[in-house]
Amino acid sequence: MEPLTIKAARKERRVAPALAGSALIVVVLALLPLMMPAAPLLNVQSAIGLALFACATNLLIGYGGLVSFGQGAFYGIGAYVVALAWLHLDASFWVSLVCAPIVGGVVALAAGLLALRTRRLYFALLTLAVSQLFYVVVQQQEKFTGGANGVFGPIVPSFLLDPANGYWFTLAVVVVGLLALWQVTRSPFGMTLRAIRENRERAEALGVNVFLHQLLAFVISGAFCALAGVLFVVYDQSANPNLFNWTESGYPIFMAVLGGQFTFLGPALGALIYEQARDVLLASFTDSQLVFGVVLLVVVLVAPDGVAGLLGRGGRILAGRWRAIAPARLGGTPGGQADGADNPAGEAGQHETVAH
Amino acid sequence: MSQYLITFLSALTDASSLFVAAAGLTLVFGALRIINIAHGSFYAFGAFGVTTVVGAAAGGWRFWLALVAVPVAVAALGGVTEVTVLRRVYSKDHLAQLVVTYALFLIFGDVALRVWGSAARSVPVPSVLGGSVTIGAGEFPVYDLFAIGVAVVVGLGLWTLLQRTALGWRIRAAVEDRELLASAGTNVPLLFTTIFVLGALLAGLAGALGAPLQSVSPGLDSSIIISAFIVSVIGGLGSIAGAAIGAVIIALFNTAGVLWAPSWEPAFIYLAMIAVLALRPWGLLGTAER
Repeated sequence: MEPLTIKAARKERRVAPALAGSALIVVVLALLPLMMPAAPLLNVQSAIGLALFACATNLLIGYGGLVSFGQGAFYGIGAYVVALAWLHLDASFWVSLVCAPIVGGVVALAAGLLALRTRRLYFALLTLAVSQLFYVVVQQQEKFTGGANGVFGPIVPSFLLDPANGYWFTLAVVVVGLLALWQVTRSPFGMTLRAIRENRERAEALGVNVFLHQLLAFVISGAFCALAGVLFVVYDQSANPNLFNWTESGYPIFMAVLGGQFTFLGPALGALIYEQARDVLLASFTDSQLVFGVVLLVVVLVAPDGVAGLLGRGGRILAGRWRAIAPARLGGTPGGQADGADNPAGEAGQHETVAH
Repeated sequence: MSQYLITFLSALTDASSLFVAAAGLTLVFGALRIINIAHGSFYAFGAFGVTTVVGAAAGGWRFWLALVAVPVAVAALGGVTEVTVLRRVYSKDHLAQLVVTYALFLIFGDVALRVWGSAARSVPVPSVLGGSVTIGAGEFPVYDLFAIGVAVVVGLGLWTLLQRTALGWRIRAAVEDRELLASAGTNVPLLFTTIFVLGALLAGLAGALGAPLQSVSPGLDSSIIISAFIVSVIGGLGSIAGAAIGAVIIALFNTAGVLWAPSWEPAFIYLAMIAVLALRPWGLLGTAER
């Protein structure tokens, strides 16, 4: 067990600069409302909400090796719990804010019990079917859900309608959500999840209950996707059936792939890049999907570990040069480098660049 | 009685184009282990291509030309796609494969929008196939019978190809063990290109065949790929016979839904898929993924 302990210690050492870097990013993001007009601020707010959606989805994809094409279901559920509770029960937003992730988790439990009987592509397609089921049912049951138009109105408390307040609220919820998710990935549970992804048979042979671990991951991911769905209502003051559509479920996957599925904050980075780039693309190209498709192709074929992976690699090259110049300072061997590429712990990743 | 027969035949008409599309998807998956989301784009290209070749003129020889030339053109596009892009992702994980084919789907979607615009188009049925036949007290369109006939011919043709020809023997061998096939001297990359071209041909044919049955508009690619997924997953990915059974099941479910529970109708196919996979995680005729 000795090497593992050393590795863990090395990892702990990397956590401090990563946390410092992340804290710096949060501070910069928190200051944005003071220096930005409302319209672009709303765009950043949307990206921050999607960052939680993408990171929650990546708990399944990057950590669990489970490609769910149906996380839009839980995103939509989060939005609709808040919207329907307001519409039918006149419930307080704060109560529904707490209830939405719980409902998302419960639905994920039911869906997971079913979907996790299958593997790989069948799992992807079955989760897709679950989200499409919600998509068509929500569209059809007009009396209860508002049909294709969705639900809109003063769903959120009035003080959140102020652009800066809405933004800060979103940022706060996402920071808390990401910290919680990060703790999940660092826990023994998160480690076991990765072990299952790497070698399911071996994990089984070691006595790990694979199904239970994957089910719990699915429930946690569903709950946090639902929380991100609540933030969509804060952003858009509406809930609409398109949130359930399979194309919506595709976005967090692309954000994870674009940003880097093997680093914790990679998907968040992907969400920020995607949202900003989409605005630029929509403004300057008529064929924005074409450009986005080409970018995705290039990322998958050339940089499978995404932008965070690229930054991490660049950072490690710089670090390697630095070590060559001052070998005594860091103790010489570039041993910490090898595990970065295939290790989704990734507290290294882009933050190594920040640190150096 | 004849009313039920006509209802059943309309369900089979829906199933026919769906089967041809799903057969291509499942064939490609069986050998290449890739779920090709861009299969929906090939279908849409097939349908749009027919609108271009046929034009506004009703009837005539142009439809027959389109029915042959358009699928061949789509197949050629499939070949180019396989050689330039897909070949690079066979060795990658299924997430990368899904993302790549989705990226192609997005690219092709915008290309179709550029070429054919966003207005809905319709294709007139050729005069030979116009009109309808009398079945008991009801009428049934001749073109719908033609579509069913083409699907049956395609099904039998695929079965013959896979069971009775050397190419089919190789395709089945590639499904079982591609390394062994390569070491036995088969040019596996060429075989894969051939299979992908065949899959694209089927998608193009399904689109061409389905064009007169529906309004051809953007969004066709996304709706057909979902239906084709469901059909091939219910039947068991990789199984042509499964695709046929799946297509008929889905079409019957849809028809039953329209008849008995219109407001829940769109949910039926997803419930059917979830129910089948809950009982048989690998589909009706599929084999467990290794």
